[in-house]
Amino acid sequence: MYDIATDHAPALSAAILLLAFSLVFVRLLRFLAGREADWAVRLMEGFNAASPMAKLAAGLMLVSGAVHLALVPGHEGITGFLFIIDGLGFIALALGAFTTTWWRRPAALWLSGTIVAYLVWVIAGWEAPDQVGIACKLIELVALGLVMRLKNPAGTAWPRRLWRATAFPLLVSLTTIGIWIGGLVHPDALHAHAGAVLQPVASVATPEERVAAARLLADTKASLARYQDPAAAVAAGYKPGPVSDADPLLHFQNQANSRAVLDPDRPQALVYARTPVGLKLVGAMYQMPRVGQWGPDPGGPLTQWHQHEGICFSPLGFEFSFETPFWTCPVGSGSITTPPMLHVWIIDNGKSGPFAAELDKAAGRELTGRSGS
Amino acid sequence: MNQISAIQSRIEIAAVLVTLQASLSLTAGLSAIPFGIVEPGFRVLSVLTILIAVMMFWLARNLRRRRRWAWRWLVSVEVVSLTITVVLTLLPIGTIRGPVPVLVNLVIPWAVLVLLASGSSRSADPRPGPADPA
Repeated sequence: MYDIATDHAPALSAAILLLAFSLVFVRLLRFLAGREADWAVRLMEGFNAASPMAKLAAGLMLVSGAVHLALVPGHEGITGFLFIIDGLGFIALALGAFTTTWWRRPAALWLSGTIVAYLVWVIAGWEAPDQVGIACKLIELVALGLVMRLKNPAGTAWPRRLWRATAFPLLVSLTTIGIWIGGLVHPDALHAHAGAVLQPVASVATPEERVAAARLLADTKASLARYQDPAAAVAAGYKPGPVSDADPLLHFQNQANSRAVLDPDRPQALVYARTPVGLKLVGAMYQMPRVGQWGPDPGGPLTQWHQHEGICFSPLGFEFSFETPFWTCPVGSGSITTPPMLHVWIIDNGKSGPFAAELDKAAGRELTGRSGS
Repeated sequence: MNQISAIQSRIEIAAVLVTLQASLSLTAGLSAIPFGIVEPGFRVLSVLTILIAVMMFWLARNLRRRRRWAWRWLVSVEVVSLTITVVLTLLPIGTIRGPVPVLVNLVIPWAVLVLLASGSSRSADPRPGPADPA
């Protein structure tokens, strides 16, 4: 669900370059301090006197600063301007950790402000949450947690102790929820619904692509005619998947077809709707052998493949939920990404069309009599 | 800076990371509750996840207090977590895709283990903590 935005990719390189640069910088500082350059001596003394916590917090702020500055070229207007201010602020505070005694409180405010600003931007739809942004917030959260624990005041009153114990977990939870809200409220064009990522395609189908899509639909309908009775599907090697109360559809899969690629005679799965009068064949599902391997799309934008990402799968009862933006699942379930798939609906799939990622809601209601379909 | 404060600092970093892990688990557990309405398995898993998150908060708190049992429990939890992630990563199911899952599911548990190993209270303070059953 959360990919790496193209204009955010340079930030990852910046973070890696910063690590290499920091090693060279510390060596240079040692060299200059050995030559008794005043500023280098002062910085080196501060660095040597700092605890590993302060050093790590400063290092993480430097990474965040570098990431923000690397993102400036891809962001115009107020966002780009704020990235410059933010990046420079983080670098100044990271250096301040070794040269001042008062950096802790400004650093906590700067980190909190940056995280809150990101949430505002994401929820407002001014910035799409992607993995670079989320990883950066994770780094800032760790830095904030460290900064908050650097000072350990003894004998403080209970409201302050309670705040110290709960503020960090609360901010982590709010950040997770905020990013989630932003991602769900403002999905980008390649997200059909939460968890399904669409294959990038051209916006308009050519006449040839329309013909090819119609041919695929006709061939699939002809091939599936023999499987109207689920017993025929089972006899042909298809096995019904687990039944879930949450899903009105039942997929019958045939492992023998796992290597076939968009072959109407050998679809990977048959899709049946669980209607009040029994199973009704509603379509086929073609699936590629590997994750991330988009299939051929003869119909261009009409036959757009999709893959499910950010899914928590529980083998206990074959159930699914969504991962959090920080890629965590409930205990006992694991994160999975499915290989790309293409559904071909042989029934009237309403406005969604015969190649939609999901069964049309109205068509599903009509078939199953369930409001959630 | 003396050796003790360096070790205390490592323990404190580990406690911050464990608190972060606990907070992320808590959110994962809470977010699974709506799925539990139609998926009975997730009812159990969400409650279990919230309980484990609370346990992790408790372990982080007692790690700061230098309890040996908290240290031992955390090492066990992180080793199990890291092992499961590595096994899932080796399967062709796309568990690790991008920097966020790498940081959350591999780097942080590994960092906590390294910090716990280097900041072992055994090397800093041979006395058992007040709540240590040993």
